[in-house]
Amino acid sequence: METLRHILSPDFLLRNSVYTSVLVGFACPLVGVFLVVRRLVFMGVALPQISSTGVAIALSLPLWLGFRLTDHGSHSAHELAFVGSITFSLTAILILAFLERRGRGQPESRLGTAYVVAAALSILLLAKNPYGEIGWLDMLKGEVITVHSTDLAWTAIALAIVVATLGLFHKELLLVSFDREMAAILGKNVIFWDVLLYLLIGLTVSMAVLSVGPLIAFGFLLIPALMAHWFARNMRQFTVLASLIGGVAAFLGFWVAYRWDLPVGPTDVVLLGVLYGAAWVITKLLPGGSRAIHGT
Amino acid sequence: MNEPLITLDNLSIGYNGQPVLSGITVSISRASFTAILGANGSGKSTLLKTLLGLLPPLAGRINTYGPAGTPLVLGYVPQSVQFDPIYLLTGLEVALMGTFGRVRPGRFVPSVERSFTRECLQTVGAEEFARKRFAELSGGQKQRVLIARALATRPDVLMLDEPTAGVDPTATHAVLDFIWQVIKEREIAVLFVTHDFALVREHAQQVVWLHHGKVEHGAAEELLTPKRLAEILEIGAG
Repeated sequence: METLRHILSPDFLLRNSVYTSVLVGFACPLVGVFLVVRRLVFMGVALPQISSTGVAIALSLPLWLGFRLTDHGSHSAHELAFVGSITFSLTAILILAFLERRGRGQPESRLGTAYVVAAALSILLLAKNPYGEIGWLDMLKGEVITVHSTDLAWTAIALAIVVATLGLFHKELLLVSFDREMAAILGKNVIFWDVLLYLLIGLTVSMAVLSVGPLIAFGFLLIPALMAHWFARNMRQFTVLASLIGGVAAFLGFWVAYRWDLPVGPTDVVLLGVLYGAAWVITKLLPGGSRAIHGT
Repeated sequence: MNEPLITLDNLSIGYNGQPVLSGITVSISRASFTAILGANGSGKSTLLKTLLGLLPPLAGRINTYGPAGTPLVLGYVPQSVQFDPIYLLTGLEVALMGTFGRVRPGRFVPSVERSFTRECLQTVGAEEFARKRFAELSGGQKQRVLIARALATRPDVLMLDEPTAGVDPTATHAVLDFIWQVIKEREIAVLFVTHDFALVREHAQQVVWLHHGKVEHGAAEELLTPKRLAEILEIGAG
């Protein structure tokens, strides 16, 4: 309890890391719900990794072009990383979603290849990059230690935009996901709503990768939504429950990591895995069993 | 004869520029029940999707005559098996989607539309499915909810894609009796895609029969006589 009081204290040195983790924990499952119902779970795994490759490539650009970043590299590097992350996330999600819609080839092999190549490439690029040594490599491994107040503010603003847009246009996004033909017959611009959803997913993934790294990002995108699907009775419960699981698990993960001096990212994801296993056991004990037929 | 709502003028339909059917000239009237009949792969669904505006016609014209010059509102009832059970939607939530064409983006569905949707569910005898998970309903129950959703659009034309597929005979008759009731009460036109001759003979007024790339159409009692059937199917010909 002493550790908990310490973490909750306004003077806690790593408070920005706590806030960022919890923000990402609450927000990522909200877009993760759409990845789950659209059966794009593999995309949820591949996207954060591709986004982190965008970070690595953006940070390698000055090196390749032969100039150094100003301001000790920190601010400029962060801006470059944001541009790289968002560019790669959005490009990847739009291309992958387009290929998914065309229904050609095997999406699993496409996404699997993208994931593993992106993971290797990002580590390779940052290992030979001076900015890799000032925290980016750690971030890609999921070690959330120092988060600047400015970065926290940007993350909060971006995620607030995502949450507000999802809330405001939930019925359109749900209709287009559930029944595209009906949406088109009702005069909805299906492509516009699809692109809006992908932009929201891309923005969330980018902010999450920049704030807490790809490991936590894909952990929180998918696992809370998959767990919530077992217990929710309707879409509202599904969304709220997934977000709550994500937010609470992010806080508990930070607490455990701080208490036993563990890296936050891997602790969060392992904790989510344990909760997932416990939830599965509960579904087996509950009358009616789990919703295995739904493929989750 | 009732006023026409839709006329198809020498229509050619297909995918990617490849025609599936050509020379379709048909008129659909208000308060009518038209069956689109044909075997699998005959072009029934392509015709329906073209009428719904989901596929562009390859040639010819589709003329629509909405009330007071307004666009026609089309209520579509797809096959219930096409929906992914992963969506945790209740019967009411699915039916409410029918009102989304009238509710602007970013707005909640107002209570008046919610009440109207409940009325639609009640009309089709599906009010008890309002709070149940759509994915957990039987084929016939899902079909009723989807008909309620189509009615919630306040349609001029109701288009049903094989609404009795996977539905038991009792539920099939209940669905078709209900459709007749809707035609009488709301004076809407119904287009009904099926491959079931018996259903068409029993319920439809007009038949559009797609057979081996040809389109035959006429009143059901004229087109489905043994003599005409033998001619179309080329039984005993020559």
